[in-house]
Amino acid sequence: MRSNNTKHSPSRLYRLALNAILLLLTLGWLSAQTTSGTASSPGQAALPQAPPASSQVQSPAAPIAASKPLVIIDPAHGGTESGAVLNPAVLEKDVTLALALRLRGDLNARGIMAELVRDADVALSVDDRAAKANSEHPALYICLHATSQAGPMRIYSSMIGEGQENNGPFVDWDTAQSASLAASRSTQQQMVAALQKRGISIRALQAPLRPLNNVTTAAIGIELAPTKADVAELMSADYQENASAALANGVAAAVLPAAATSGALQ
Amino acid sequence: MIPRQFLITVMILFALTIGMSVYVWQLQKREAATPRGEAKAEHVAPPTSGPMERVTVYVAYDEPGELRGQSISIPLESGRQQRAEGLLQALMTIYTAKNSPHPLAAGAAVNQVFLVDPGVAVLDLNSTFVDGQVSGVQAEELTMASIVQTLSTNIPGLMRVKILVDGKQRDTLAGHADLSGFYDVQQVAELVKELSVQ
Repeated sequence: MRSNNTKHSPSRLYRLALNAILLLLTLGWLSAQTTSGTASSPGQAALPQAPPASSQVQSPAAPIAASKPLVIIDPAHGGTESGAVLNPAVLEKDVTLALALRLRGDLNARGIMAELVRDADVALSVDDRAAKANSEHPALYICLHATSQAGPMRIYSSMIGEGQENNGPFVDWDTAQSASLAASRSTQQQMVAALQKRGISIRALQAPLRPLNNVTTAAIGIELAPTKADVAELMSADYQENASAALANGVAAAVLPAAATSGALQ
Repeated sequence: MIPRQFLITVMILFALTIGMSVYVWQLQKREAATPRGEAKAEHVAPPTSGPMERVTVYVAYDEPGELRGQSISIPLESGRQQRAEGLLQALMTIYTAKNSPHPLAAGAAVNQVFLVDPGVAVLDLNSTFVDGQVSGVQAEELTMASIVQTLSTNIPGLMRVKILVDGKQRDTLAGHADLSGFYDVQQVAELVKELSVQ
């Protein structure tokens, strides 16, 4: 009896080990199938909503085919983070929000869907802003800023280098923009041309401005500047209306097909 | 009787374990043999003397939003850190002067400069510097580009610059220019080209 047990126990052990390995392999295969199935479904590869703890972000999947392009508008600052105090009565966060609300309407009027990262006076981190933009798969992300220094309107693209090692399903959070940098710079130039054509003074620059680096689609920053020293101008209805219409035209030129652009420009 | 397949599996696993142990041991040996770039971080006292030298500093001009290279003569010592400190002092003198083209608050200063081999400079600005910095994307990037370009032009081998404020990491200079990472001097040089042409 005893010798029988001794004889069979290694065999049982072997079968158990073999079964465990087979089970693990099957589970691994099933898990891989589930993951690849999710990622390959168009528009279903959800990007993380919250800032990634591992400093990585899933690379963009193909956006859902939509008849209208989507633009994400990000009025910078908000809540306790007021941005520049342009004068004691004018805060940057209020200027950017007012323009963003107008711009949304002007873009909608031109056949472009637009969503705001914030539509109220709330504080959001730059990581939250980028996560929101990445999860929506927009055609374009625009962050709005304002300054007290007079001069032309400025349009910024990210300052990161091109050709970063960001291949594969996950990309580095800090250089997530790298793969879209060419698209961002092309959009920047198209907007500059469209605005200059309408007599708007604008300057194109790179800038070390977050969250441009973390956005996985074409991304630009706009900085409004008063034409003279009076920063109160930035909150005036005239200025906001003109700036919003000019930007909407520029965005339309960049994100709409050429045939649709001529009809959209107003 | 132990089945032959079991024995073979165990032997393969054992061989793999031995192989991996040898591999890890070799990796450790190689790592130990690799000479490390010794992190030399020594605070250098402000230069008080040195032969006059003609250098190019990059000065920000808010009004047109430009960065202009200017040739000035200042006393500079030969050591790299002393040079870095002397160059930044020269910039601070320009920016805190009356009628400065890019005003900073009186008392704005660079607390310390650390040159860490290889090719990294760590600057520690004081809080007066950032409190007096005009908030705005262009205004802040002019400040950053002025500092980085002045250093990289006059300190050979500099590749990256990190900016701290009162010894601590800070997200932005004054709400816009990112200070969370390192500035690559080549990327800043590209930006300087854009800032130099209106």
